[in-house]
Amino acid sequence: MVAPATLALRPWLVPAPSRADRARSLHTSPLLLPSTSVHLQSNGGATKLFSTCNRVSSIRAVAVDSDQLGSSEPPQQIEKPKKYYFVVANAKFMLDEEEHFKELLYEKLRLYGERNKEQDFWLVVEPKFLDKFPDITKRLKRPAAALVSTDRPWITFMKLRLDRVLSDSFDADTLEDALACNPVDLHFEKPEIWTAPYKKYEFGWWGPFLPPPSI
Amino acid sequence: MAAAAELSLIKPVNPIRPFGRPVVRHPHLKFRIAAAAAAMAPQKPKKAGKTSIKETLLTPRFYTTDFDEMERLFNTEINKKLNQAEFEALLNEFKTDYNQTHFVRNPEFKAAADKMQGPLREIFVEFLERSCTAEFSGFLLYKELGRRLKKTNPVVAEIFSLMSRDEARHAGFLNKGLSDFNLALDLGFLTKARKYTFFKPKFIFYATYLSEKIGYWRYITIFRHLKENPEYQCYPIFKYFENWCQDENRHGDFFSALLKAQPQFLNDWKAKLWARFFCLSVYVTMYLNDCQRTAFYEGIGLNTKEFDMHVIIETNRTTARIFPAVLDVENPEFKRKLDRMVEINQKLVAVGETQDIPLVKNLKRIPLIAALVSEIIAAYLMPPIESGSVDFAEFEPQLVY
Repeated sequence: MVAPATLALRPWLVPAPSRADRARSLHTSPLLLPSTSVHLQSNGGATKLFSTCNRVSSIRAVAVDSDQLGSSEPPQQIEKPKKYYFVVANAKFMLDEEEHFKELLYEKLRLYGERNKEQDFWLVVEPKFLDKFPDITKRLKRPAAALVSTDRPWITFMKLRLDRVLSDSFDADTLEDALACNPVDLHFEKPEIWTAPYKKYEFGWWGPFLPPPSI
Repeated sequence: MAAAAELSLIKPVNPIRPFGRPVVRHPHLKFRIAAAAAAMAPQKPKKAGKTSIKETLLTPRFYTTDFDEMERLFNTEINKKLNQAEFEALLNEFKTDYNQTHFVRNPEFKAAADKMQGPLREIFVEFLERSCTAEFSGFLLYKELGRRLKKTNPVVAEIFSLMSRDEARHAGFLNKGLSDFNLALDLGFLTKARKYTFFKPKFIFYATYLSEKIGYWRYITIFRHLKENPEYQCYPIFKYFENWCQDENRHGDFFSALLKAQPQFLNDWKAKLWARFFCLSVYVTMYLNDCQRTAFYEGIGLNTKEFDMHVIIETNRTTARIFPAVLDVENPEFKRKLDRMVEINQKLVAVGETQDIPLVKNLKRIPLIAALVSEIIAAYLMPPIESGSVDFAEFEPQLVY
């Protein structure tokens, strides 16, 4: 009973206007890649959901040499660069279509809680680090969502599980550098056919995995 | 291996057995189960163990394979291309042991079992027994593979051992569930008395991959449905399914990695034909099996055919991430064919239940089996969908993610 279907969303999360449903995409390409029915809306209309990204950036701008960071971040993260591994695909695939992905993340979060392990994996919507990977961005439908972790074998496992994702790694001096993102408004279209005898996981289930607001 | 039950069709030489209700194959088994029950619950009245158990509950098969070939396949000396990084990543996942403390029972179980009466109780017992046998079947196979591969590939061997840990846990939990109904499967006896079906390693990979993934989709579908419709939550075991089926899903990932490590099983026209064959075998067997047990699915508030179609569609989508070809199960014609198979199968079952002498029964069966086989062949020949892991796609560089 780890991941209740109705999640306790973080306070800044605004539920989707309608329940986003999975689009069926098996026939769209010979390799069954998910279709794009993601709408990239103008930034002017960005919801509260991703304005957190803005907040993160602005805090970072003023906090680089202040002590504010020290309270939530182990000092070595500021001092020496750390390696971050990621898998990335379009947000529709990651957050809307792959429902087992949600189960996996909640299972991991539950385990970390039980074993008092500090979280080392995050979901980043439209991550800024993508700018360093032109070979990836030219093959990526937008908006994109990345799963980022310092745990390399786990990201290898997630690549095996998700398959339709691109994977790489980068160095970052701080966690907030690693997880910085651009604000974007997500909207997933309802699927035409829904064969399951249950409802889709609620839009916004990924809230607990977004970069923490403290950074 | 939650759905080993679904694999009985894979024995194409004898198409009768998987469909019809087979005649008693192990006449003493019933006795053994009853005896075990008596031993487990001596305080209960004797008749408790006598719940009538149909032989079909043992349809889930036990598997064995060519262990020498397995050793060669995963020998890192011979097979230099093995993607050990993937195996090591999987080993980490299995070592993490997400469900170490998950399978803990509570008093709700016994109380719920006591409340369940009549046909639902009977069908529930059958469900527990089939599931337990299927999980236990996975345990035996993985355990042996873990033992045999220790020298040639310790990483792969350890994964097999850890998967057998999961399966043993699942089987044990189901068996404890049976004790709520004053029954128990004598697993030691099963190990010795059951016939083992032999599969070459590549068939073990296809079959167990599908079995694990379809198991995941069955469990998660039941879990999510019951979460939204708690009035059908008649036995607490379903509440454990969400975490439970993550094990199944990971086991499937491991077979996916095994297949990727042996691209010869994925990249030619023969592989495509086998991939379709195994998909069809697993889907058809599940559909026919479940349609004979609609009382169970209706008992938990599901429409059997809709449930099965959902599981088939999702399993097929998952399978398309690794198998080089899958069936076009979302084509409405596919379901129409399955439904015709169910009708024919019902007639076959009816023939088996008549008082006719065996010769007459067999004669009556001939046209039905011919009809069934032709439906199956027609479904097999439907235009397939090319699929596979993007890691193998030649045009991968042009893909947009």
